[in-house]
Amino acid sequence: MPSLELLATCTPPCNTRTWLSAPHPHLPIIATACSDKTVRVYSLQNFQQQSTISGGHKRSIRSCAWKPNSKGESVLATGSFDASAGIWRRWEEGGGVRKPAEIDFTTGLAGGDGEEDEEDEWRFAVILDGHDSEIKSLAFAPTAPLLATCSRDKSVWIWEELEDDNFETVAVLQDHEGDVKCVAWHPKEELLASGSYDDNIRLWREDVDDWACCALLTGHEGTVWWVEFEDANNIYALGSSEDLNDTQKDYVDTRLKAGPRLISCSDDMTIRTWRHVPKDKPELPAGQIKTTSIWKNRDFEEEWVEEARLPQVHERPVYCVSWSRKTGRVASTGSDGKIVVYEERWRSTPDTKSNDASGDVQMAGGAPGPDMEDITAKKLSGSDGHKGGVTEWVVVAEAENTHDVFEVNHVIWAPRADKGKRFEDEEVLISTGDDGEVKVWTFDT
Amino acid sequence: MDNKDNVNPTIINPSDLPSRRRSAPTTKRVGLFDSLAPAYPSLAEPLSSPEASEASLSDDEEAEEIDEQEVYDLISTISDPEHPLSLGSLGVVKLEDIAILPPTSARSRISTVTVLVTPTTSACSLTTVIGLGVKVRLVNALPPRFRIDVRIKPGTSSTAGEVNKQLGDKERVAAAMENKSLVNVVNQMLATCE
Repeated sequence: MPSLELLATCTPPCNTRTWLSAPHPHLPIIATACSDKTVRVYSLQNFQQQSTISGGHKRSIRSCAWKPNSKGESVLATGSFDASAGIWRRWEEGGGVRKPAEIDFTTGLAGGDGEEDEEDEWRFAVILDGHDSEIKSLAFAPTAPLLATCSRDKSVWIWEELEDDNFETVAVLQDHEGDVKCVAWHPKEELLASGSYDDNIRLWREDVDDWACCALLTGHEGTVWWVEFEDANNIYALGSSEDLNDTQKDYVDTRLKAGPRLISCSDDMTIRTWRHVPKDKPELPAGQIKTTSIWKNRDFEEEWVEEARLPQVHERPVYCVSWSRKTGRVASTGSDGKIVVYEERWRSTPDTKSNDASGDVQMAGGAPGPDMEDITAKKLSGSDGHKGGVTEWVVVAEAENTHDVFEVNHVIWAPRADKGKRFEDEEVLISTGDDGEVKVWTFDT
Repeated sequence: MDNKDNVNPTIINPSDLPSRRRSAPTTKRVGLFDSLAPAYPSLAEPLSSPEASEASLSDDEEAEEIDEQEVYDLISTISDPEHPLSLGSLGVVKLEDIAILPPTSARSRISTVTVLVTPTTSACSLTTVIGLGVKVRLVNALPPRFRIDVRIKPGTSSTAGEVNKQLGDKERVAAAMENKSLVNVVNQMLATCE
């Protein structure tokens, strides 16, 4: 049975609650949002604190996010309980032409007189005001220069980044009926997902010129704390397509047509996956001329269904899930202080020939017989809520008391970068807790 | 605070309230929590001095069990924001409405305290403040291995669902405790606690 092993605790820890850690898109560092109004940047090579970002916010920093695809410069957005978002920049070695020095709003940084210090210096580039109350989450889009922020004021804002640190508000979306807790972008399309205190998930897209809600996903029975799309290539995590039976092949086709799924976790202690149901364009009735407006509305709204529920392990609200981009494994954490790792596998049925289908994935399981029976039994009793699905989710590792007795607010997969790295593409899990600590875990098979 | 729709609450005499006669002089609860900054740094000083917490850490581990009476004693002296009386005297908190659930498995160290609050008024905002006061008091006073669920006693308020959801949302509670005016109100309520 695989396990999670504690590799390191980042030092020095924060002495107040830490909310979230964001791994940099390509450097081996993470940024941790702290309730002491700072962001700490830790190295994933030696787990030491590298720098601190402070002075820009008047209240706790709840969330931070790195801009993906940024050349020569690291850009970090910070979301604070003071209702503003900050954009911070830092030049990275070997990257691009240096801009003329800007006015520095940061305080508390190590002195930056010499040029050699400029590389470590975080510059407060711009503040984004607009929300009426605390910002809960923010995210940069991977395929467009957009930033989404969300708040207790029930709205989601979309900002477009223009030249010279100008961010223009492109949309203020107010369909949610309660705090918006989280936002997440689709990996390939300009589609945004948001989870809310109103127990719902909404998807948003640009409809010609205006952003609007294109789908409402209901079902959760408590606040939705986190939403995330899977990587577009996740379907391959199930293994090669050579040994599949027809049902399984059909399923792969459906998944490929539907695109990346969404995962969500909630106060109701469940973790659910949701799948897009693409529309088949129906034949036009003969003689129908005025179709443009009908088409537009039909094409804009999307149908999404709840596909599966992961086995329920958490006994208290689940605050965060992370879907690995490399392996497709899901990690979850929450108020009970546990970290749980799940894998998706082909469901074994009496019809499939030898149950080696799940052997494609790197998990070398134990003896197939009794375990499979347990899983089948659980399936029949509906532990994943969906009998008869082609795939099923299975718990592969569980760790308790991961941050002593404290709640864990965030967990995320990241590429391993320290000396003990065992293979290419190895990932670690980074957890962030109420104890002010950021811990790094290896997943050992 | 102006609309007192409960101008004549039933007041219980403090000496009639359930309490425990203490033989040990340690009235200050010391926990693992004290060596960290309190969860709500904007509120009053921690319960005991940092030096005491080191020495007494072993005391805490001697399983001086925290029971319902202990929890009651922590919250019964909270002042009602509306009346110059304690939540215990007003019957807002009652010993029988406190439940402690031990860890659910051998490996877990997390216990849950559930407190049901009986509001004196139907005003939703005051009820929330009272609930918040109870929650903050317990979060700061009990060791961090306790999860604290403060809820409105079923049947006592039409807005119980809304209030319960707010009190159960750690993010909202944390943000509320960074809000100066709310912090002042809660501080006033907790001023009468020892």
